[in-house]
Amino acid sequence: MEKTPNKLFWHGALLAVLLSIAYSIVLASQSIEYTWRWERIVPYLINTEPKAEYAPFDGVATLSADSSTVIVEPENGDMPQSYDSFTEIMVGDGDLVFEGDVIGSKSDWRLGPILNGLIVTLQISLVSLVFAVLIGLFVGLARISSNPLLKHLSLLYVEVIRGTPLLVQIFIFYFFIGTVLDLDRFTAGAAALSVFAAAYVAEIIRSGIQSIPAGQMEAARSLGMNYVQAMVYIILPQAFKRTLPPMAGQFINLIKDSSLVSVISITDLTKAGREVVSGTFAPFEVWFTVALLYLVLTGALSWLVKLLERRMASSD
Amino acid sequence: MIKEYQGNDMIVAENVDKYYPNGCHALKTVSATIHRAEVVVVVGPSGSGKSTFLRTLNQLETVSSGNITIDGTPMYAKETDINQLREEVGMVFQGFNLFPHMSVLENVMLAPLKVSKRTKREVEDHARALLKKVGLESRIENFPSQLSGGQMQRVAIARALAMKPNIMLFDEPTSALDPEMVGEVLDVMKSLANDGMTMVVVTHEMGFAREVADRVLFMEEGELLVNEKPDVFFDNPPHPRLEKFLSQVL
Repeated sequence: MEKTPNKLFWHGALLAVLLSIAYSIVLASQSIEYTWRWERIVPYLINTEPKAEYAPFDGVATLSADSSTVIVEPENGDMPQSYDSFTEIMVGDGDLVFEGDVIGSKSDWRLGPILNGLIVTLQISLVSLVFAVLIGLFVGLARISSNPLLKHLSLLYVEVIRGTPLLVQIFIFYFFIGTVLDLDRFTAGAAALSVFAAAYVAEIIRSGIQSIPAGQMEAARSLGMNYVQAMVYIILPQAFKRTLPPMAGQFINLIKDSSLVSVISITDLTKAGREVVSGTFAPFEVWFTVALLYLVLTGALSWLVKLLERRMASSD
Repeated sequence: MIKEYQGNDMIVAENVDKYYPNGCHALKTVSATIHRAEVVVVVGPSGSGKSTFLRTLNQLETVSSGNITIDGTPMYAKETDINQLREEVGMVFQGFNLFPHMSVLENVMLAPLKVSKRTKREVEDHARALLKKVGLESRIENFPSQLSGGQMQRVAIARALAMKPNIMLFDEPTSALDPEMVGEVLDVMKSLANDGMTMVVVTHEMGFAREVADRVLFMEEGELLVNEKPDVFFDNPPHPRLEKFLSQVL
């Protein structure tokens, strides 16, 4: 008889293991007398610091009867300006104000440096992903081409890129290519990531194409399609479906590898994390938060790919 | 479009030799002429070069030397567009080679739409008529993975016919089928032969060869040894090696 494991027991065991890991983290931080200050992270995620309003010119400030509006009347007789919806007013009725003085502050919220870094990471990953696929498709097709020039060039490209560390490539792109072509750091970083990921994408696409039985190409050609038509309508759609799982892994790697561009001073999530650590002296909290945000990005991506895979499974 | 050809010789192969890159001499100076509306069956032991010969007829294999003329068009002439020539020559494979990511109807419609640039409406009507002809009008929305082997091969025949070819090549069309499905595919091929299609069939179905073929070719080790009418071929084998082959398969 087939034995079915007791689900309740093993799920309970899983929970117990996770709880004991969490507890040991707590114990570990106690043993080095670390005080957790999660609240310090919040302003670096969402900045709710009030926004100050400055006097635009020298003049006299007048408060309205209910003290909600400040009217600044300029000395030179120009049109007076009025300001309202302050949370705090810093001037009194009839005060003399000078250009640049704070007349009050308004409630406001902005993205903090960590979330700004998250957006930069998202941007550089997306840009690199698109270019990695385009370059990778071209290099992958060149790899299986019968033209010796294309074949060997693409092989050389793949070997060089895969044989050197990404960090070194980023430095080369920023300091050498970036200087020669006068690239800004974001472009240099995105270019390095694209070129790096493209080498892996090319290999994935090549193996995907080669995994399609030769009969598919023969059938397409025997119907009068040329090579490009056969590729576009027959081979690539099937190869695309087969390469989705390894491609998803590569894209997740791309997001994680993007943390390396922080070395050329792109304020991505990792660089923002480093900056926030020096501002808060809460390194544990910051790095756990940063890790969680990376996990959100990669998790969302793999969820999207799963969705796509399920949609494409209709012909199986 | 290839110019209209009125002659009687649909396929002319002259002194065709084929060497594979590994040095194997797959075709040894094969010459054959196949006439309009003729059904020619090619038989022979495996490795005899019969599939290679068939595949040279639509240039899935290029020849090492020799000439092939299809429907009045010399295949290796500079001005010949091989893709245009292939539109005239339908092919059915042993392994079906249906496009698994497309429905039955899409399989049949794809090439006429993309290659022939016919209107969608005309192509779809034609595709539906062809699928009805092969008895699969009820399966047009299915994917190939949902069909039996015999059904897949009938879709493959309809797909080849959708290009309105003048010649049909069959490369062991029933060899990958379960025995009970061989009949349905052979029936479609017989009706095609009755419609006057020029057909070259590589097969092990000796019954089909005897019943339908106008001529039967016997190949062994890359050589075309016998080219005869079926009654002579089977009842009076003119070559000792054919005699031996027939005694093994019949």
